[in-house]
Amino acid sequence: MARRERLTRAGLYLLYVVITLFFLFPIFWVLSTSLKSVQQLFAARPVWFPLDPRFENYAYVFNNTPIVRYLFNSALIVLLTVVFTLLVAVLAAYGFSRYTFRYKKPSLMAVLVFQMISPVVISIPLYRLFVELGLLNNYVGLVVVYSAVVLPFTTWFLKGYFDTIPYEMDEAAIVDGASRWQVLSRILLPVCAPGVATAAILAAVLSWSQFVVPFILLDDVDLYPVSVGLVNLQSNTDAITLHYLSAASMIAIAPVVAVFVLLQRYIVNALTRGAIKG
Amino acid sequence: MLATKSAADRRAWPGLLLDSPFPWLLPLAAILGVTFIYPIFEIARLSFTDASLVGAEYSYTLESYLSLFRSPYFANMLNVTAIFVSFSVVFQILFGLLIALSVDRGARMGLKTSIVTRTVVLSAWAIPGVIIGIIWSILYEQSAAGILNYILGSIGLSVPFLSDPQVAQASVTVANIWRGTAFSMILIYAGLQTLPEDVMEAARVDGANAWQRLFRVVLPLLAPILFIDLVVVSIETFNTFDMVLALTGGGPGRSTEVVALSIYNQIFQQFDLGQGAATAVLLLTINMLMTFVYIRYLERNEEIG
Repeated sequence: MARRERLTRAGLYLLYVVITLFFLFPIFWVLSTSLKSVQQLFAARPVWFPLDPRFENYAYVFNNTPIVRYLFNSALIVLLTVVFTLLVAVLAAYGFSRYTFRYKKPSLMAVLVFQMISPVVISIPLYRLFVELGLLNNYVGLVVVYSAVVLPFTTWFLKGYFDTIPYEMDEAAIVDGASRWQVLSRILLPVCAPGVATAAILAAVLSWSQFVVPFILLDDVDLYPVSVGLVNLQSNTDAITLHYLSAASMIAIAPVVAVFVLLQRYIVNALTRGAIKG
Repeated sequence: MLATKSAADRRAWPGLLLDSPFPWLLPLAAILGVTFIYPIFEIARLSFTDASLVGAEYSYTLESYLSLFRSPYFANMLNVTAIFVSFSVVFQILFGLLIALSVDRGARMGLKTSIVTRTVVLSAWAIPGVIIGIIWSILYEQSAAGILNYILGSIGLSVPFLSDPQVAQASVTVANIWRGTAFSMILIYAGLQTLPEDVMEAARVDGANAWQRLFRVVLPLLAPILFIDLVVVSIETFNTFDMVLALTGGGPGRSTEVVALSIYNQIFQQFDLGQGAATAVLLLTINMLMTFVYIRYLERNEEIG
């Protein structure tokens, strides 16, 4: 028995090493490339660990590309999107969780359907609409579209979370004279804070990754978020600047990966809890 | 008397409005209506025109669909998309299942490394698709700087990762599997946490070995999750093009131009709004068919309410 457990353990460790290598290697290689000199970049035997790391590559990217601007734009768009999405999704999740009404099931289904529609399909008519309304290159219009893309998921997620809180809690408060609004803001939201926080994090990660919507609805380079900005950099870059492109990629993924690694236990727990429920 | 009064109170203006689900759902309905319902009707209308992205004048025609179906690129696009989607989906689910099972097993044995592995896999999911495309284009680099090229070269292979049409399809699919496995992993991992412990224990007591437990107990219990995973991942993969755009731009030639990228190229590169819209309607139809299957499944299993 002990021998079998040792074998299982060894097998698992081996598997973990293979999995970790497969998923970490691309990021390791780009990090390594971002710290190389041009000679090391094209060395006949690849340099795995640049022992004399060229941090000036990062300085170059910060000084000679608009990456700081792109990061700032992304942060602004994501922040506005998360706030707006949560406002709308919390209200809708409350409605779906706390009321029974005639077309509830079809309405919930309809919300789910929107989740499945490709953003490229809706962005084209929106592009024409935005041109006509003068909303192209306008963050207000853009944030509404970003929110619409993450709202179906966020609403379902929050509704599922609210469902885990017994309705008796609401009823007790209502009997005591609380309004629906007070029930939501003073009872449900504090109890569901972890769920709301997770919804915010997931909406932020999804919005940070959003590409098609800003790619089509923005054509002013100064307004690009980091995803569109990097594609723009990439298409203006030739092979000699591979280390700069690598450095820019590392800068672009650092914030979101940091958030994810720090909060992953939390995110996994909340997602698992949602799955248990439904 | 008291009861009537409070009932009347509740019927009073803000009270009545606040006691129906309507105001709570209104903002959501308004936003989804403007950003989804209007564009869907509009794209369907445009698909029956010869509109161009730059000109204002157009007339209604079926030519957009006819020329799309007649185009030699159409069969190519379907083919490329089918290969990309099917291989991505199958391997993402297989790897996701394998990783979820091993991480779950390790976590139950108290191995800290299982959490590390889970975190590494999940981090790939947090990276924007275009940056994943750029990262893999650096790995696939065919100059002396390319690491995969070097590794395979050292065993005597020379692989034209992005310059040969067929190899490029495989390269794009591998990068997409790297990107998407985390989603399947977390979904299946969450499913594993819900398996009834007593059933697992019973199987163990009955002397079922690990393989028997996996195939006779765990997988049948996971079937609903695996099905949901299959549908959602398929739809996501049909809809995506950011990673492909950054990695190959659809090339070489049009050998990696999946349907979503094709829509973008037709409209924003060739300005052919009519035919691009027709392709978008095709993608929308695929989305709707798969969503329909998904919803029927959810309804049958009473998972909504």
